[in-house]
Amino acid sequence: MHGRVKLKSTAQQEEEKRKERDKKLKIYVAARDACFSKRKEGVCDDEALQLTQQLLSSNPDFATLWNYRRDILMEMETVKDEDEVQKLYEAELSFLESCLKVNPKSYGSWHHRCWVSARLPRPDWARELSLCDRCLSLDDRNFHCWDYRRMIVKMSGVPVDRELAFTDRLIGSNFSNYSSWHYRSTLLPLLHPESPESPSPTREPPHPSAPPSPQTHSHRVCEEQLLKEYELVQNAFFTDPNDQSAWFYYRWLLGRAEREEMISCVYVSRNEERVAVAFSRPVNAQSVGLLLVLDGQPQSAEWRSVHPRFKHSPVWICDLPPGTISDITNEHNLTVHWAEKYTHRDCALYTGRTESWCRDSATDQELFRSELSVEKTSVLQSELQSCNQLLELEPLNKWCLLTIILLMRALDPLGYEKETLANFQTLKEVDSMRSAYYSDLCSKFMIENTILKMEYAEVRVFSITDKNLTTLCHLDQLLLVTHINLSSNQLQRLPPQFAMLQCLEVLEADNNSIENLEGLYHLPKLEEVLLKNNKISTLADLQPLASCPKLKCLDLRGNPVTQMANIESELAELLPSVSDLLL
Amino acid sequence: MATQVKDVIIKPDAPSALLLEKHADYIAAYGSKKDDYEYTLSEYLRMSGIYWGLTVMDLMGQLPRMNRQEIIDFIRACQHECGGISASIGHDPHLLYTLSAVQILCLYDSVDAIDVDKVVEYVKGLQQENGSFAGDKWGEIDTRFSFCAVATLALLGKMDRINIDKAVEFVSSCMNFDGGFGCRPGSESHAGQIYCCTGFLALTGQLHLVNADLLGWWLCERQLLSGGLNGRPEKLPDVCYSWWVLASLKIIGRIHWIDKAKLRAFILACQDEETGGFADRPGDMVDPFHTLFGVAGLSLLGDERIKPVNPVLCMPEDVLQRIGLQVDLLS
Ligand SMILES: [Zn+2]
Repeated sequence: MHGRVKLKSTAQQEEEKRKERDKKLKIYVAARDACFSKRKEGVCDDEALQLTQQLLSSNPDFATLWNYRRDILMEMETVKDEDEVQKLYEAELSFLESCLKVNPKSYGSWHHRCWVSARLPRPDWARELSLCDRCLSLDDRNFHCWDYRRMIVKMSGVPVDRELAFTDRLIGSNFSNYSSWHYRSTLLPLLHPESPESPSPTREPPHPSAPPSPQTHSHRVCEEQLLKEYELVQNAFFTDPNDQSAWFYYRWLLGRAEREEMISCVYVSRNEERVAVAFSRPVNAQSVGLLLVLDGQPQSAEWRSVHPRFKHSPVWICDLPPGTISDITNEHNLTVHWAEKYTHRDCALYTGRTESWCRDSATDQELFRSELSVEKTSVLQSELQSCNQLLELEPLNKWCLLTIILLMRALDPLGYEKETLANFQTLKEVDSMRSAYYSDLCSKFMIENTILKMEYAEVRVFSITDKNLTTLCHLDQLLLVTHINLSSNQLQRLPPQFAMLQCLEVLEADNNSIENLEGLYHLPKLEEVLLKNNKISTLADLQPLASCPKLKCLDLRGNPVTQMANIESELAELLPSVSDLLL
Repeated sequence: MATQVKDVIIKPDAPSALLLEKHADYIAAYGSKKDDYEYTLSEYLRMSGIYWGLTVMDLMGQLPRMNRQEIIDFIRACQHECGGISASIGHDPHLLYTLSAVQILCLYDSVDAIDVDKVVEYVKGLQQENGSFAGDKWGEIDTRFSFCAVATLALLGKMDRINIDKAVEFVSSCMNFDGGFGCRPGSESHAGQIYCCTGFLALTGQLHLVNADLLGWWLCERQLLSGGLNGRPEKLPDVCYSWWVLASLKIIGRIHWIDKAKLRAFILACQDEETGGFADRPGDMVDPFHTLFGVAGLSLLGDERIKPVNPVLCMPEDVLQRIGLQVDLLS
């Protein structure tokens, strides 16, 4: 029950109501039982239509009665000629119209109308579209009606551009209409698809016969149309800066292309006789047909994800049989084939080398920026100016603040880092209910910036300290990192994804609030773990470390666990490889 | 043309303490007035009504107060030749009520009371070429039914009997520009559908397909100043939507993105201090539907007087443990 206000009433009023309800109940039950018994006997007559009509008028969610009506109508169809059938179904549409007037949100009525429309010998699509127009003019957010309209549009072949014009009209009369903006987001990619020569930051086009994955049902729009949309949305949010619909749509327009599905990195380690493969999105290597070929020989070794919690992961590991590549005087050539995507990546391990890798050095454009071409960044620049103007008028408008952050990221993530941090601070103050969201988003952006800096410096050290990090992400991009410093942040855990840091030797994470080390799982090279001043409180929390065979140095000073009795001997048993323990 | 933010105001005298005993009494008494007009009108969804009532009783540790044998006999009487289960006797079978019935039987640890193989055949038979599920033989397609199908099979341990890849492909095709999901491809995002689709993806082990950051933002923007959550932009807050949004956030590992204390205050304000039970909004009429989602929401928010609830199946975690069903969520 929705929106039924509870009213106070006197005992006498109650009594009157009760009598009235009892009367209604008797009529209702009699009609229901009559319907059920007729149906049981297989009767399909006019009286049955009338009885169900009577009941459905007041209770359109009584699905079984719609089913009965359909049985009756189909039965009647068999003994009538086309004109009679047409009339029969037209009467049904009129009845439905009266039902929808009373209850425009009944699933049963709308579905029945779909069913009737599909059976009508001579459908009148114009009538159906105008019904939708009337219904949407009463409630422009009725999703049943929107869905019905989409079905009619499909069945009757209304061209996409006419539907886009329809949304123009609705948005023109009222910008604040999320349903219309949503509809636009589905129409634009159909009408103005991203052209093949567009500046999407992909290197090799996917193999022509590669089957599309669910995510590639593209939502992308060609650049020219995108620029027009910016203008429309800008009109909307200048008219009403607090209307969220336009801002949601704008964020979608600013979104970047999905990364091409590819093998982004292959890493091989001689000592561990292990191959690690990173993909541009999470996959299940066991089901996508991943094949490792070593010196021309296909290997039968199994792939496993970096952590048992992941059936899909961007990083997968393959342990080679002992002795396969351990001899440092041998050179080896590896190829990883991704059969499903018709793609592969080679990697050579030369004589005298203990490890090797092959990857695309990703640029900021590919990883974290807008998909607009460089020559159009001037447009983004002017978008940023407009938003800044709006912010001057509305200094506490959270939508505007967030959009400015996104525009700055699209333009120059490193150059605008200081302003971005300041804007996030304001956001957390003006919209404190969502401060945890803003903290996580800010963390994500700071991690992206740090990855960019690391890429430019071509080092394997990832350092992000004193940045109020509340979450870790993009860890698949840190596969080659040997040294990570996360000290003085607000992290509460090292999540299972942390196990993707397969090359990690040193972890510094002092002065956080870490209580969970789940992600320090089977890290083969990890030697040093510095966790001073965190919240590790039980021995069980340290259990994951037991899976890291090379761990030598562990700093747990300032953690509750150090207060435990016998902690030293317990740790010696749990982590026998640790020789340098600080408590 | 400034938009007016639709929201409610919580009065200072609104309930702020959890009235568990009253809610249990309200639910226990609900089924006893079977001659009530309103009760009769809602016969078309009776099976779900029973599921709402029993689940909230179980979450409050009060399940023994309900009439177990009567309910199991009723469910048995509602299973049809085709294997599907109807809302009530005389009504037609439907996936919605098939799931509710199976959920109830799991609460009572007695799925063997019905013909399980036939249920599985029924569900399997409703899968369409494109992977979607019809709600019944009349062919209405909706992502809600995709959820009902996999939830039913997951509870029965028979997930492998349908084409999961195709089912996932269909649900993925309902993903929108805002990261949310609608009823069918092209339909607008809606918190109820998002709950069904993220739940579906959790049950099928495909949550990596969700754009969790984008969807999480849309979901946490459902929280209004009153603390309550709405189901779509520019709509009023509601206890049931609060559950669907909250459960979805939990499923995609982003529950900390809303203000939990404010939501708790909103849900508590929707209690009726006289009759027990929860309404959609403060001051409205209560019903078992909102009573379940109010209590389940408080459970997800960590209320220790209530049993932990599973966000995907909206059932007590201990029940799922008993039947050995583990659902992985994003973290
Ligand atoms: Zn509700």
